[in-house]
Amino acid sequence: MTCYETLFVVKPTLTEEEIAAQITKVKDVLAKEGAELVGTHDMGMRKLAYTVDKHARGYYTVLFYKAAGATIEELERNIKNNEDIIKFLTVKYSKNKEIAQFDKLVANANKKVAPEAKAAEVTEVPDVTEAPEA
Amino acid sequence: MAERRKFKKRFCKYCELKIDIIDYKDLGVLKYSLSERFKIMPRRLTGNCKRHQELVTIAIKRARQTALIPYIVDRKNVVENPFENVR
Ligand SMILES: [Zn+2]
Repeated sequence: MTCYETLFVVKPTLTEEEIAAQITKVKDVLAKEGAELVGTHDMGMRKLAYTVDKHARGYYTVLFYKAAGATIEELERNIKNNEDIIKFLTVKYSKNKEIAQFDKLVANANKKVAPEAKAAEVTEVPDVTEAPEA
Repeated sequence: MAERRKFKKRFCKYCELKIDIIDYKDLGVLKYSLSERFKIMPRRLTGNCKRHQELVTIAIKRARQTALIPYIVDRKNVVENPFENVR
C-alpha cells in the first residue's frame, strides 16, 4: 500500500448535488478497488488560472488515500472517461519525508472536516494559506 | 532600486521557514519563487538553496497543471487579481 493524493476539478456548470454525486462517484471507484480513503480536502469552487474547456471556474476536491499501484490506473481511467471532471492530478508520497508530509496534510484535511459541514457556501476559500505555519 | 533591494538578502526562504516538503496546493509558499508574470524565478534572484529550488519547481509545475496558477500571463491572458485565492 502506498500513499497517494488525487486532486480533481469538477465542472462548475453542475448543480451542488451533481457535484457531490461526482465526488461520491470517484470515492466509490476507490472503495471498489480496495483503497483506504484517509482524508478529503474540499477546496470548493475556485477560479481557474486559465480556462479549461471554456470553463473559468471549477470545484476542487483532494482525496488522500492508501492504495496499491494498480488502483491508480483504474481510477485515472474512470476520471478520464468522465466528462464532468475537467482536471485531475495524482501525486505519490513514497519517501519517508513525503509520507510525514502526507500525514500532516491528512491531519489538516481532517481538521477542516468540522467547519466543512457549514462551509457549504463555498464563496471564500481562505484555508489554503493556513498550512505553511505548521 | 526598490526592486533590486527585494532580492539583496540571499538566503533561502524555505530553509528559514523550515519547510521540508513543498505542497503544490499551498500557493502562499510558491509565491516566493514566482515572478509577477508567474514565471519561476531563478535561484540567483531569490536566494533559494538548490534543494528547495528543485522542490519548488516541481510544485509550481504541478500547480500549473491543475490550473491553480497560470502557465503564462500576457496581454491575452491577463490575471486581474493574481493571488486572489491566496492571500
Ligand atoms: Zn532551502
